[in-house]
Amino acid sequence: MKLQSLHLTNVRKFTGKRASITGIGPGITVVSQANEFGKSTFFDAIHALFFEKYSSTAKPVKSLQPYAGGAVEIAAQIETAAGLFRVEKRFMAKKMARILRMPEGVIIAQDDEAERWITDLLGETSVGPAGLLWVRQGVLGLEAETPKDKTQQADTRRDLLTSIAGEIDAMTGGKRMDRVMQRLGQDLAAIATKTGKKTGAWKAAADEAVALAAELASVTAQVETLDSALAERKDTDAALAKLDDPEGKARRAAALIAARTAMDTARAHEGLVTAARQDRDIAALQAKGAEADLTAFLRAIDGLARAETAALLASQTRAAREVEASALKRTVDDATARVVAAQTTVGQARLRLDLARRQTEARKAKARALDLAAQIAKAQQAQNQRDAARARMNAVAATPDWLAGVEAAASDFAKRETAHEAQSAVLSVAYSGAARLSLDGVAISGDSPVVLGALAQIDLPGIGQMTLRTQAPAADGAALLAKAAKRLADLLALCGVKTLAEARSAAAARTEAAGRADLAQAVLNTLAPKGIDALTAAMAEATLAAAEAQDDPLPGIADLEQDLTTALSDEAKTTQTQARTAADHALAREAAIKAAAQAEAAVTDLDRARAAAGVDATREARRADLLRRDAQTAETLTQTEAALTALIASAPDLATSTAELNRAEAAVNGVSQQRAQQGERLAALSAQIRTLAGHGIEERRDDLRGQLETATATEVRFARKFAALTRLNQALEAERTAAQDTYFGPVHEELKPLLAILHRDAALSFDRDNLLPSGLTRGQTEETLENLSGGTKEQIAILTRLAFARLFARQGRHMPIVLDDALVFSDDDRIIKMFTALTRAAQDQQILVFSCRQLAFQDLGGARPVVEISET
Amino acid sequence: MAPIAQSDRPSESAFVIKFIHSSDLHLGKPFGKFPEDVRVRLRQARAEALVKLGNLARDHAASHILLAGDTFDQTTPAPSVIRQAMNAMRAADHVVWVVMPGNHDHANATELWRQVVQDAPANVVVLLTPAPHDLAQGVVLLPAPPGERRPGRDLTGWFDEVATGEALRIGLAHGSVTDFASSEEGGSSIIPLDRARRSGLAYLGLGDWHGQVSFGADTWYSGAPESDGFKHAKTPAALLVEIAALGAPAKVTSLPTGSICWQRVPLDLTEGDDVPTLHQQILPPLAERALTLFEMQVTGRTTALTRVALEQAAAAVAPDFLSHHADFSGLATVHATDDLDAIDRNGALRAAAEALASDAADPRQTPEARDIAQAALSHLFSYALEA
Repeated sequence: MKLQSLHLTNVRKFTGKRASITGIGPGITVVSQANEFGKSTFFDAIHALFFEKYSSTAKPVKSLQPYAGGAVEIAAQIETAAGLFRVEKRFMAKKMARILRMPEGVIIAQDDEAERWITDLLGETSVGPAGLLWVRQGVLGLEAETPKDKTQQADTRRDLLTSIAGEIDAMTGGKRMDRVMQRLGQDLAAIATKTGKKTGAWKAAADEAVALAAELASVTAQVETLDSALAERKDTDAALAKLDDPEGKARRAAALIAARTAMDTARAHEGLVTAARQDRDIAALQAKGAEADLTAFLRAIDGLARAETAALLASQTRAAREVEASALKRTVDDATARVVAAQTTVGQARLRLDLARRQTEARKAKARALDLAAQIAKAQQAQNQRDAARARMNAVAATPDWLAGVEAAASDFAKRETAHEAQSAVLSVAYSGAARLSLDGVAISGDSPVVLGALAQIDLPGIGQMTLRTQAPAADGAALLAKAAKRLADLLALCGVKTLAEARSAAAARTEAAGRADLAQAVLNTLAPKGIDALTAAMAEATLAAAEAQDDPLPGIADLEQDLTTALSDEAKTTQTQARTAADHALAREAAIKAAAQAEAAVTDLDRARAAAGVDATREARRADLLRRDAQTAETLTQTEAALTALIASAPDLATSTAELNRAEAAVNGVSQQRAQQGERLAALSAQIRTLAGHGIEERRDDLRGQLETATATEVRFARKFAALTRLNQALEAERTAAQDTYFGPVHEELKPLLAILHRDAALSFDRDNLLPSGLTRGQTEETLENLSGGTKEQIAILTRLAFARLFARQGRHMPIVLDDALVFSDDDRIIKMFTALTRAAQDQQILVFSCRQLAFQDLGGARPVVEISET
Repeated sequence: MAPIAQSDRPSESAFVIKFIHSSDLHLGKPFGKFPEDVRVRLRQARAEALVKLGNLARDHAASHILLAGDTFDQTTPAPSVIRQAMNAMRAADHVVWVVMPGNHDHANATELWRQVVQDAPANVVVLLTPAPHDLAQGVVLLPAPPGERRPGRDLTGWFDEVATGEALRIGLAHGSVTDFASSEEGGSSIIPLDRARRSGLAYLGLGDWHGQVSFGADTWYSGAPESDGFKHAKTPAALLVEIAALGAPAKVTSLPTGSICWQRVPLDLTEGDDVPTLHQQILPPLAERALTLFEMQVTGRTTALTRVALEQAAAAVAPDFLSHHADFSGLATVHATDDLDAIDRNGALRAAAEALASDAADPRQTPEARDIAQAALSHLFSYALEA
């Protein structure tokens, strides 16, 4: 379909007017008019003409009606493959639609028939070309900018999707595919999650199979336990029957009786043996006793003889020892007397020596006392001299320092006096009479000139008073002089002198006294370095030590010491001799005592031997009796031993009899015990069997086997179903994806040259869900549509529409592209390229452009239709 | 247990002996493969088999019911199973029940038989040992009870040697005979086919084989009174055995007993078959379905659409049955262009269908991959038809 002309009557701003666009070309046609001309009115009118029912009162239709109301008439002349036609619709009032074949003007369809004609013309989709190819003002881009734009753009996108849905349906299966996929999805979701995990009935079957398998295992184990118990019970029954065998029982009883009889016989013989053994033991004891008695008797006889000899020898030894001890006692006494004498000699020698030594010391002390007395006298004298010199020195205060101060003060005074005199008037008086002048009340002596002050009142006796005014000397000269004089006077007064010469003399006297004191002190230090009192104390001590001093001649100390040494030597020798003899005596004494004790013991032994041997008269008779008893008991022992040996030799084997009895009893008891055990085991097994069998576990096992088989088969069936559904899903997805790729192929093919005008080597990618461009790839960089500039986005939007339009054209469905104020965001360079793209597309595609940018769109070229507005 | 005196028992004087021969009741069999409601019904039917046998004995004036083994399914069934079986026999006190062990409830199942003997009423005889038993005056029963699950030898051998005087001899055994390829459980064949003739038996009643079958006029498997699987096509029944005199041939009559039908039906398809009609033809009458366990084994080849239609038809009738199972594993699917049109004429759906169909028929794919692709295609058909 190609538009040739449009005619609007009483539409929106063209109230009561007819607006026409004629001369619309087959390629590009630009309707370039100023704002508010009504370009959008034309756009909306075209849309209503082709996509709104004539009977509609929908908002798009109502919006076309002017405020004044009235019927809205829209008509267009179009060219189709079937020829020229005029499409007319009247909305809102006297509604109608009709199709006229041109140029004859023959009506070929009216109203609903006309609507069907239009639908056939446009295809199944009523809004496809409008949404896909026609671009309203302000919604060029594919991205929302304002809420209003967002709504409008969403509508446009929806229109776009809807419009192309029919095409996709042809390839992707459309709604039928959707329903199949939905059902497939439902069936898949019923048995598995999206990640392929079992759910729903499949999971239930799997869980049931697991649970059944577990229970089957448990029950099978119980059945095995039951089978085992049954088998064991069978064996136990057999074992019990064997144990209860009467023949075996009788055999075991007979064996037991025989063993017990043999055991009794053996035990009786054992008693005889025991009695014989006791007899033998008694006989042995008796024989042993008789032999012991005989031996003791013979030993007593021998012992008596030895005791008598021993007693005699001991008595003799005792006497000899006592004699030896007495002799040694006397020797000891002599030695002791010699020791005492030697000790006395030593004492006397030691006393004489001590006396001589004390006298010598006393005499030395006496001489020392005399020396100390002389020394003390000299020291006392030096001390007195020192004290006298110090007294003299202390009596004079004229120290060298004081004298230096006096010297300085005298010098200062002299200087100041000279200076004062130089500045002051000096009055010299030479009296001739008795009368004396007085100055300021003080008589002037006349001995020396008087220095006057600045104002001097001189009393002239008998004359009056004379006041002398002189030129004033320095104001402080007199004061300083007075101060110097006072200082000198004060210093002199300290030592009680009045002149400098006296001062010097006093100072010399003091120095001399000090020298004498020092000399006396030095002498004192030499004589009594620790003081006179120390000398006095030493003298007292010496005097005391000299108290025993005598004047008699003294013996020699050396001689006395030699005497003492000799005495000590003698003492040592005698003492040693005394000790040695005392030791010998002690030994002898001890030997004597020991011999006495041995003699007494020998007597005791002799008494004991006599007692043991008995009286002499009965000894032989007793010997004979003891010999007889010994022979008799030996004979008895021999006889009893022979009897015991004979009994032991004939005794049955008790151990064998015991073993036999034990074996027989063990056999009987063992069988009894086994029977009891088997009986208990049988009871336990029977209880276990009844418990297990009572639950019908075999039946339950078989039941579970069947159920498990069914559940497993069900699970397998679900697994197969899942595999089949998954396979189907893969097949459908693959084919749908392939179909979509197939669909987008031509779009890409159409887009490629158009896109190359703007961007070399650029390609668009499409969103498979909304079938809109989703990204632009330039070189190696792919950008999402959202990140592109507004201009690029609107350019892509227009180019995409051009491509879709060419696709429609290739299908034999030529649809015009209508752009209302498009390319508002494009710069000068790009808009020229877009013009090129539009021009390229317009070679076999009608494009109707409405624009208010008259200047900018001058370069687009194309047809410029005639726009006429006239009154109706 | 001492035999019960026969003088008190009803018997038509024209016959020396008239008895019911049955076996393989397998009381207590759990049928765990089935849902709980089906299991309950199957177990109930087995329990009711005793009542039916008692009724048959009364209706036909039989003096004895001989159970040739496997009365119980396990060696240690639940006490309630034993007690209720004994109670049912006690209720049918007009007849003597002779119970011999089988391989499932062999004679060495001591606990089982201890409780059976304990619970058994006076009209129940339990034969646990291979010894002659006086069944009636002049009639001796020679039992051959298995002592274990797989005896591995001919337990009827002693029939040849035992002397019973002039009495009529009836044998009762459990196991397979030599011309069977296998026993019910696949064991080796042991009992010689000519045992009756060799041992001078007027009748040899056998158990183990759940279907009713005879080997000559004197050797019979009674079969189970209630089926427990799809193996045997015949209607479960018991045998009424009548022997008029010593040396006279046994008159054997089959008496239906089964209440639940186990039906395994093959449905072999080829392209072009009128599948809905064929399906309808193999279905049992509506009235019988509630007591029928139906298993349809579909084989052959058909188109995908037909397969889906058959699957849907099978699913539609399934609730009619006590149990219904359709096995399509043996059915190969032929993918025709027209069939795929049902999914879509073009586009992704059609492409997916073609890809799956291609994989399903691709010999380079593993069998499992082909199966999965086929199943996926079937699902796609179902979804597409719904859509």
